Amino acid sequence: MQELMAVQMNDVVKQGRNKPIGPLNLDIPVGYVVALVGPNGSGKSTLLQFILQTLHPDEGSIRWFGQSYKNTLPLEIRQQISYVAEGPLLEESHMTVQEAAYFRGHWYPAWDQQRFEELLAIFSLQSQAKLNKMSKGERRKFEIAAALAVRPRLLLLDEPSSGLDPFAWTQMMDEIRTCLEGEDVTVIISTHIVDEIKRLADYVVLIHEGKVKGMVEKDAMLSQWVEVWARGQVQLMSPDVRSDVIEIQEDESGMHRFIVQNTPNILAKLAEEGLEVVRSRALELEETLGLWIKEQGPELTH
Amino acid sequence: MWVPIQINENSAEPLYHQIETQLRTLIVSEQISENTLLPSIRELAASLNCSVITIRRVYQDLEGEGLLRTRQGTGTFVATVDQVERNEYRRAVVQEAMEAAVNVGLSVQYGKEDMTSLFLEVLKQKYEPEA
Repeated sequence: MQELMAVQMNDVVKQGRNKPIGPLNLDIPVGYVVALVGPNGSGKSTLLQFILQTLHPDEGSIRWFGQSYKNTLPLEIRQQISYVAEGPLLEESHMTVQEAAYFRGHWYPAWDQQRFEELLAIFSLQSQAKLNKMSKGERRKFEIAAALAVRPRLLLLDEPSSGLDPFAWTQMMDEIRTCLEGEDVTVIISTHIVDEIKRLADYVVLIHEGKVKGMVEKDAMLSQWVEVWARGQVQLMSPDVRSDVIEIQEDESGMHRFIVQNTPNILAKLAEEGLEVVRSRALELEETLGLWIKEQGPELTH
Repeated sequence: MWVPIQINENSAEPLYHQIETQLRTLIVSEQISENTLLPSIRELAASLNCSVITIRRVYQDLEGEGLLRTRQGTGTFVATVDQVERNEYRRAVVQEAMEAAVNVGLSVQYGKEDMTSLFLEVLKQKYEPEA
């Protein structure tokens, strides 16, 4: 059975004024949460704009739910996509929460007013409040509530938690999860927050310098590397084990510390190599991402 | 329902293996009784902070072992396991744990004889408390 793709990018290129983007190649399957990670300015927001067609690539092709479209995205597809942008929507600034809800309800036929009001209550927002009088965090809460009330099939979130207090953040995470209980909802979230990746993502896509470095299963990525402290003759390791080892350091007492691919029974294998393993731990997500950027990429590409 | 699975994030043991081992133990020890409806893949993934891919793999593996069954449109249930099979699973679970303990012994060069006497000592402590 062929898996349906929510978004497919094929050699998408955009020659920016200062930074070229692409070629981007990416297949995002329906029903999963995909986290876009990468340094500032690496092209995450641009990628989301390609999906929304608010930005058109110079080259390459994009497909939505298996279809490609010339020029503009048809309304019925656009209406299934919900988006929380990096910054607030300017044309809504003079509106109250209620007016903006009416405005959005007009564009999105699946707009769920009851769900929206539920979300307003959860985030403690007043429907009479003016959007441009709100704090950054409150405005963010409105954007998230409005994006979820659309009952989207594809939800695009560009650093949704920026400006949120920890309580609102927890609520946001819960509400995104509630949204996922819907039939085959796909979420693409650009984020720097490790906890967001850990709690939400099924796949992680690393974007670096305008290119997709790969897409991996989050859990496979989390258990890809182990850091090991060991005594013994590290130089005498057999080549097939040695080739899985990176970043060896040694202290004055002869203790070695290194990172090794977490292959099955790796600790037993190291013991067979004559090493006395004193301590080991799985690498944290941010450490694994750091290695990935430095070309120590997971070989578990989707 | 809540599934009492505890994940050790620091462990080198892959997540799916940790979850699979614990869920198997819960089923063969009848802590989750037969015909229980398990959480949906998305729900269990959310409660364990892991991906749906991992949970799907665990459910598929345990279904392959005959411990779970999936009814289209309803969900995943704990299968009926007969006593002979249950005993086999119990034995496999215990054997795996023992092998892990022996591996720890090997990694610190603990001798076979020391290991045996330690094993007997622990056995006595656990099975004959207050004796």
